[in-house]
Amino acid sequence: MTEPVRGTRISVDVNGEIHERDVEARRLLVHFLRDDLDLTGTHVGCDTGNCGACTVIVDGVAVKSCMMLAVQADGASVETVEGLAGNGELHPLQQAFSSFHALQCGYCTPGMLMSAKHLLDNNPEPTEGEIRRAIQGNICRCTGYVNIVEAIAATARGEVSG
Amino acid sequence: MLLAPVEYARPSSVAEAVRLLGAHDGARALAGGQTLTNVMKARAAAPDVLVDLNGLAELRAISRTSDGGLELGAMATLTEVTRSSEVAETRPIIAQVASQIADLQVRNRGTVGGNICSNDPTNHLPPLMSALGATMTILGADGERAVPAVDFFLGVYTTAVAPGELLTKITLPATHDRRDGFASVTIGKDGTCIVNAAASVHDGQAAIALGCVAAVPVLLASASDEDAVRSAVRGAKLDPPSDVHASAEYRLHLAEVVAVRAVAEAST
Amino acid sequence: MTETAVTPAQPVTVDEQELAPGFIGQNVARKEDRRLVEGQGVFVDDVKRHGMAYVHFVRSPYAHAAIAGIDVSRALELDGVYGTLIGEEVAAETEPFFQIAPPPAGDLKDYALAVGRVRHVGEPVVAVAAATRELARDAAELVEVDYEPLEVVLDPETAADSGRPQLHDEVPNNTIWQGNFDYGDYDAALAEADKVVRIKRLHFHRFSSTPLETSGAVVEYNRGTGQWTIHSNNQFPGFAIIMMAPALKVGMDKLRLVSQDIGGGFGNKICTHVQLVAMCLLARKLNRAVNWTEWRTDQHTANSHGNERVFLDVEVPVKADGTLLGFKSRMIDDCGAYTRYEPLGCIIWAQVTPGCYRWRHVRVDFTQVCTNKSPCGPNRGYSRMQHLWFTERIIDIVAQELELDPVEIRKRNYIRADEMPYETPNGCVYDSGDYARCLDEALKLIDHDSIEARRRDAESRGKLLGVGIGSTLDSGTNNFGQSTLVNPELQFSGNNEVATVKLDIFGEIVVTLGTTPQGQSHETTAAQVVADILQVSPDDVNVRAGHDSYWNSHAGFSGTYASQFAVTGLGAVKGATDMLADQIRKIGAAILGAESTDEVELAGGFVRRKDNHEAALPFMACGAIVNANNAVLPLELRDVTLNCRYVYVPPHQMPDKERKYGNLTLTYATQIHACVVEVDPETGVYEIVDYGAVDDCGIRINPQIVEGQVQGATAQAIGAATHETFLYDEDGNLLTPNFYDYHVPHALDMPALKTAYVESASPFTPLGAKGMGEGGGAGLSAVASALQDALRASGRPIVSDSSNPYNRVWELLRDPEQSRRLVDVEDR
Ligand SMILES: Cc1cc2nc3c(=O)[nH]c(=O)nc-3n(C[C@H](O)[C@H](O)[C@H](O)COP(=O)(O)OP(=O)(O)OC[C@H]3O[C@@H](n4cnc5c(N)ncnc54)[C@H](O)[C@@H]3O)c2cc1C
Ligand code: FES
Ligand code: FES
Repeated sequence: MTEPVRGTRISVDVNGEIHERDVEARRLLVHFLRDDLDLTGTHVGCDTGNCGACTVIVDGVAVKSCMMLAVQADGASVETVEGLAGNGELHPLQQAFSSFHALQCGYCTPGMLMSAKHLLDNNPEPTEGEIRRAIQGNICRCTGYVNIVEAIAATARGEVSG
Repeated sequence: MLLAPVEYARPSSVAEAVRLLGAHDGARALAGGQTLTNVMKARAAAPDVLVDLNGLAELRAISRTSDGGLELGAMATLTEVTRSSEVAETRPIIAQVASQIADLQVRNRGTVGGNICSNDPTNHLPPLMSALGATMTILGADGERAVPAVDFFLGVYTTAVAPGELLTKITLPATHDRRDGFASVTIGKDGTCIVNAAASVHDGQAAIALGCVAAVPVLLASASDEDAVRSAVRGAKLDPPSDVHASAEYRLHLAEVVAVRAVAEAST
Repeated sequence: MTETAVTPAQPVTVDEQELAPGFIGQNVARKEDRRLVEGQGVFVDDVKRHGMAYVHFVRSPYAHAAIAGIDVSRALELDGVYGTLIGEEVAAETEPFFQIAPPPAGDLKDYALAVGRVRHVGEPVVAVAAATRELARDAAELVEVDYEPLEVVLDPETAADSGRPQLHDEVPNNTIWQGNFDYGDYDAALAEADKVVRIKRLHFHRFSSTPLETSGAVVEYNRGTGQWTIHSNNQFPGFAIIMMAPALKVGMDKLRLVSQDIGGGFGNKICTHVQLVAMCLLARKLNRAVNWTEWRTDQHTANSHGNERVFLDVEVPVKADGTLLGFKSRMIDDCGAYTRYEPLGCIIWAQVTPGCYRWRHVRVDFTQVCTNKSPCGPNRGYSRMQHLWFTERIIDIVAQELELDPVEIRKRNYIRADEMPYETPNGCVYDSGDYARCLDEALKLIDHDSIEARRRDAESRGKLLGVGIGSTLDSGTNNFGQSTLVNPELQFSGNNEVATVKLDIFGEIVVTLGTTPQGQSHETTAAQVVADILQVSPDDVNVRAGHDSYWNSHAGFSGTYASQFAVTGLGAVKGATDMLADQIRKIGAAILGAESTDEVELAGGFVRRKDNHEAALPFMACGAIVNANNAVLPLELRDVTLNCRYVYVPPHQMPDKERKYGNLTLTYATQIHACVVEVDPETGVYEIVDYGAVDDCGIRINPQIVEGQVQGATAQAIGAATHETFLYDEDGNLLTPNFYDYHVPHALDMPALKTAYVESASPFTPLGAKGMGEGGGAGLSAVASALQDALRASGRPIVSDSSNPYNRVWELLRDPEQSRRLVDVEDR
């Protein structure tokens, strides 16, 4: 795409599966996931990049998918909440979120889980401060974060299994 | 939340990027997109062509210059800056400040170049780069030019980077025992700045840059003792804006406080 | 950053209740969680239909303007645009929404889109439907609306003044409602007082809980039956249908409201009937499913805000020993541009007229005005929070001015446990509670004994430390009869909620609820109640996710709002399950040859003879017999359906309209919070360094869930107390229309929360539980209280606003005298 295009065909690996679609250049990654691929686990909670409900992991890096164009994900591999559990087994973080009542309405949860996964992938033994810092970009309006922080800490300590 | 129609190109070299930016009126460089995408969602800006710089590895490098200074590629992300050993060794303040910006996801994509090119008056890096005496390298169809920070920031959201041009790197001089500091008052912990100040101190002399009090960072020179700093800020005849987070009066007061704190941090 | 211990893994148990063996009272894992952690929840914007159109609203850029003309032709020309809807069509096809207010305000016209005039920035003017989200927005930009700007009314305190422009032709002086409340003998109390404390003005600011999921809908129209299916996240479908059906001029059964998962509501999703009607009209006009996604900026500018309120000329007669006798105030409430749930806010506060205190003499002159701002509506702690903050501010200001200890003055004046049930001056009956004990527990959580030492330590670091208390009540299970106190003609009273519980052919226990949970874990707690009665495990109980008004579990007041599920929702579940259990016993007795149902019992999924456990019939057999093999049943058991519906109706009575007197809610949960702040005197920046929250909501069905609600309510209150505020400029533009400027607490902002509980069972409810979840906004009071304490050493400023961003704290520090002019103490 060295010359400007209004839209193009892209190929994106999402949770290990390759998806090819024609997209407009202006389509946001989050709408590509939700509307084009029907992966509605990734949510939208704001229009300014503050809330983190749309957090996914692109090529190993946690990003807010509402501030990235779908065309920018061409050739990338994207992890979303739908890919966390494997073979019917919950990821330990998913289990911990449930055990510690780290979700109420569950709307922030997919983004929160992806931020938490990114944290533990890169820092398996975070302090409480590091956990809070890692989820600073994820707003939760329900829980006050207390149980979310605890769930992530417990997962790091290996106290929950998926 | 929904962008207006736009064209997209992903050049594979810096030269091609400059060519694309020059070839299309209304073309804009797309760096981390952490500001630009949001502005486009609000349709406050509707560029015709986005020139995505994310494929340009050459703009991402962070390295030390031969004379002991530091070079930051415009496309180095804020996260990369916080982790860079070169930054830690030469100007650790940059990593410290970068780590306070926004949140992890934003830092993972947001770039140093984007932060200073957007020149939002509440941004962290414009005052920091000003106080540290950074030089910006701008590349256009007619070649490269180096612009010192004082001449780089021109107004709210405007800089010396003209249409068709690209910021390629930011160069910081060698420290020579210089010590740097930064202080801010933010909305919540590590939130948007209400007022911030960066300082670089050498030999009892401080270069201070104040953010959020004018369209561009306000650069002051002063002796590094508290009284001198206070009178330098007072002497600057600041006329800060009033907004929903802070009155002009409050900002004026805070400017003095954070200037003193930034210099104090640099002096210890 | 708080690295220290957060909430103890086990809450500090104050009342070790002997728990009946069973699932009630246990931390049963949530049934909702699995789908939500896997991203398999179904929120409204996840619903898709073939050929669905996306709708974008053209919204008003003016706070007040006449609409001189609308031209949609350019929008319609765009490829992929399906159609538009404008105000004139709405006015032709619908009736204005029913109004709760009595005339003249009750005559105002509120439609699904602006008709002829816009009254706040962000008001929907035109709806545009197109093939994609992006296209709908492109087309919306091509709609031309000709506005003629009008003078704006923004200040509630002058909105009713003569000469101000009128928002609604029908509403003189922009006054929606005015009423006087006079309880006890205020004049006598004033005469008896040794001191009278006067406060000129207190202000409770505008904010809202801003649920992370914005509002939305997917609406389908069936031309053959004339029926709409409305997938939405409306949280009070009972109210929505009552509002929508008359507007659309159809019977209620033409509206099917459906929801599954809702991403937070907090009251803010009650009044979406307005947009839902616009969607219904579009779906019918286009004969196509339509999707509406509200964006964050829309939610902030045009969803419901919490009511702003000012308390003027406050007067508090006090005895020399610190006994408070009563209060008097002129209150002005600002409900924004339209009255959707309003003016109910004018009476809801009266549920907690005296707050937690024993004062008996109250005189309130209450006025509600409309202004050119976003409409207000219920917001977590609706209308009571404002009032409770006011009572707490009185206590702390009186304590400071009369040099009384804030703890002692509270204990002296709190209603006492031995006075429960306590009838308040306006006839509400506080069911149970022990405020003084809760306060002691809260003070323990923050180690109150060490406060003076910590104050000195903070001083040595150049900081000002302060401790504050917030004592609030969460009144739940509304008596809708209170609406008749604002409009005697209304035909609403009491309350109800419904549930059905059935046993199916294969022995599956299926529960349907009338509620619309948004994170309150109803599937789980309902299963706990059912499990205990049927003697099975909650895993055996299938609670249908979400709400569907076409299920037979929809009653007039169905929904999730106003802290009541534990009473009304679970009361209905208990009622229906008791019926089912009885029916299962009947079948069992008949099949097992018992003389009566007393000889059989339920255990482990069987009904069995008490005298011979081997003689047992599995539930599956009961289900199969009744549903598919019923000729084997004796004739007298043919009315057993194993499908039981129960409507719980609380024991409410009609209040006295003349005296505005009567019990307005059934239960009153207690929240006593204690907060420690450290203020940087140079900047006004402050940090909450310690926080303790004690909650007493009677019997806790699931402690972990209760605790989650406490934590969440506290976070919202702290957010509101510090940075969250809806502020407008002089033209009526909202200055905080997104999360960038409307700063809600994130994980670094939140202090470590410590929690404890007391359990004072409600004598009035089926399970001894009380509604909870809204909380009373105790955090708002506690933060204001702590700030005033911290600043005391710097000239004793008065914290008179519920919103205390750093700028305001700095102003108090810089010029304490200005705030002190608000108070005056008369010595008798
Ligand atoms: C929720 C949130 C909170 C934030 N909080 C803060 C904060 O507290 N402090 C702070 O400093 N920042 C904050 N930011 C902004 C963030 O730091 C952005 O990443 C940064 O300002 C822009 O960088 P970017 O790489 O994303 O640039 P982009 O958004 O891609 O671009 C920004 C502008 O710069 C131009 N541009 C970018 N790179 C170049 C280049 N090399 N040459 C020429 N022009 C270029 C673009 O054309 C565009 O006009 C926040 C952002 C978000 C979303
Ligand atoms: S939707 Fe992406 S940050 Fe809010
Ligand atoms: S659980 Fe509702 S927003 Fe986090």
